[in-house]
Amino acid sequence: MDSFLNVTQQLLSGFGENCYIFIVTLLLAIPLGLIVSMGSMSGFKPLKWLTKTVVWIIRGTPLMLQLFVVFYIPPLVSNGSFAFPRMNAALIAFVINYAAYFSEIYRGGIEAIPKGQYEAGQVLGMKKSQIFFKIVLMQVVKRITAPIGNEIITLVKDTSLASVIAIPEILMNAKDFSMDGLIWPLFYSAVFFLAFCGVLTLLFAFIEKKLDYYKG
Amino acid sequence: MSMLNVDNIQKSFGKNEVLKNISFSLEKGEVLAIIGSSGSGKTTLLRCLNFLERPQKGKITVNGEVLFDGDTYSKQKESEIRKKRLHFGMVFQSFNLFPQYKVIENIVLAPQLQAKEQLKSTGEYMGVKTYKEAQQKIMENALVLLEKVGLSEKKDAYPCNLSGGQQQRVAIARALALNPDILCFDEPTSALDPELTGEVLNVIKGLKTSDSTMIVVTHEIEFARDVADKIIFMADGVIAEEGTPQQVINNPQNPRTKAFLSRFKQNFS
Repeated sequence: MDSFLNVTQQLLSGFGENCYIFIVTLLLAIPLGLIVSMGSMSGFKPLKWLTKTVVWIIRGTPLMLQLFVVFYIPPLVSNGSFAFPRMNAALIAFVINYAAYFSEIYRGGIEAIPKGQYEAGQVLGMKKSQIFFKIVLMQVVKRITAPIGNEIITLVKDTSLASVIAIPEILMNAKDFSMDGLIWPLFYSAVFFLAFCGVLTLLFAFIEKKLDYYKG
Repeated sequence: MSMLNVDNIQKSFGKNEVLKNISFSLEKGEVLAIIGSSGSGKTTLLRCLNFLERPQKGKITVNGEVLFDGDTYSKQKESEIRKKRLHFGMVFQSFNLFPQYKVIENIVLAPQLQAKEQLKSTGEYMGVKTYKEAQQKIMENALVLLEKVGLSEKKDAYPCNLSGGQQQRVAIARALALNPDILCFDEPTSALDPELTGEVLNVIKGLKTSDSTMIVVTHEIEFARDVADKIIFMADGVIAEEGTPQQVINNPQNPRTKAFLSRFKQNFS
């Protein structure tokens, strides 16, 4: 019994790290993704291609590798005089990675809005910004709720990847127990993820229901 | 002087010349119907008037004010275009209501934004000085318009819960709420089931008064004959024939008009 409480406590403290990465990534990647999506839809071709190339690189390489790059490359090129603290390195990699994915979801959502909605706003004398914020945005939010929810649930589990740069998150703590011959904490850690994702699933179902007051 | 003057409008999409030197004029209070087969340029003409397309050449004048001049139009500011396009109202074939807003919100949204902007810049909007008063005015006007299109009881419904005909009537009220000089209809009944076209056409008929100027692009020949003061028949980007309904529909001169109308008679009688 003593060991169960001890394990729970250790795993919980690790899961705190996961939650911290999760929340900061969401708070920063959601707005950053919108800016990136604007870049990839830009009429200014160089910006568009630059953005698309960056998104390709970020989506085309493993997040684990990106964590290594952010953490190990700065000290290598600066001869050890500069390095990000571990947690900051993890956050940078996660935010950039998720912003790239979010940006593509936004782009899909924005491009799916019929041209007629923009034209209706135009003939009613609205400014471009008014058309975006008063007409288009709400419709985009409705369209992207499900894919964003999917991505957010993936993020919950991806936070474990931070262990590759030695952030003491839940799986790393569980693995430490297994090194001492205690295997079950590894499986027990699934409970934390399941609980967290369960809450998120309920939350997204609620949001989708809230947005279901109209069709189209 | 005519209310609307369109001079030599020319519009191409790539190599495809869609409008070839279109000129016509319209008096205040007149209803103009534009008929013609698909691809003849009717809709493009209407879109040019509403600044949804930019002609390569030509001139558009409303009440003596030059709105568009292909020679001097290099890069007009967005704010200028916004002001100018408000001379025209537009009702689309596919309604284009804003799905997330209730019927009443669809109608008051644009006037409210306009009121905010005007109060900020000039301190006055339609004779009132505060946004609260302006809002009240806009709401009263919207309710009057909804009554006019016969949908007062639907004011809190969402567009998805309305029939196509009802949606189009809301779209008409929405366009009227900005008090345009000239109201344009782009095939307003083409997306509707046949049994729903009547209610929309009746609303448009009901709008016809001595000072409402309208341009209707339509395939409803009967309707055009009943409502229009003037009919333009377009073919291949030119005005093939124009005149009163009597002249164009009952007694067409151009062989293409004759062919077009006889096809209609075969199909619909």
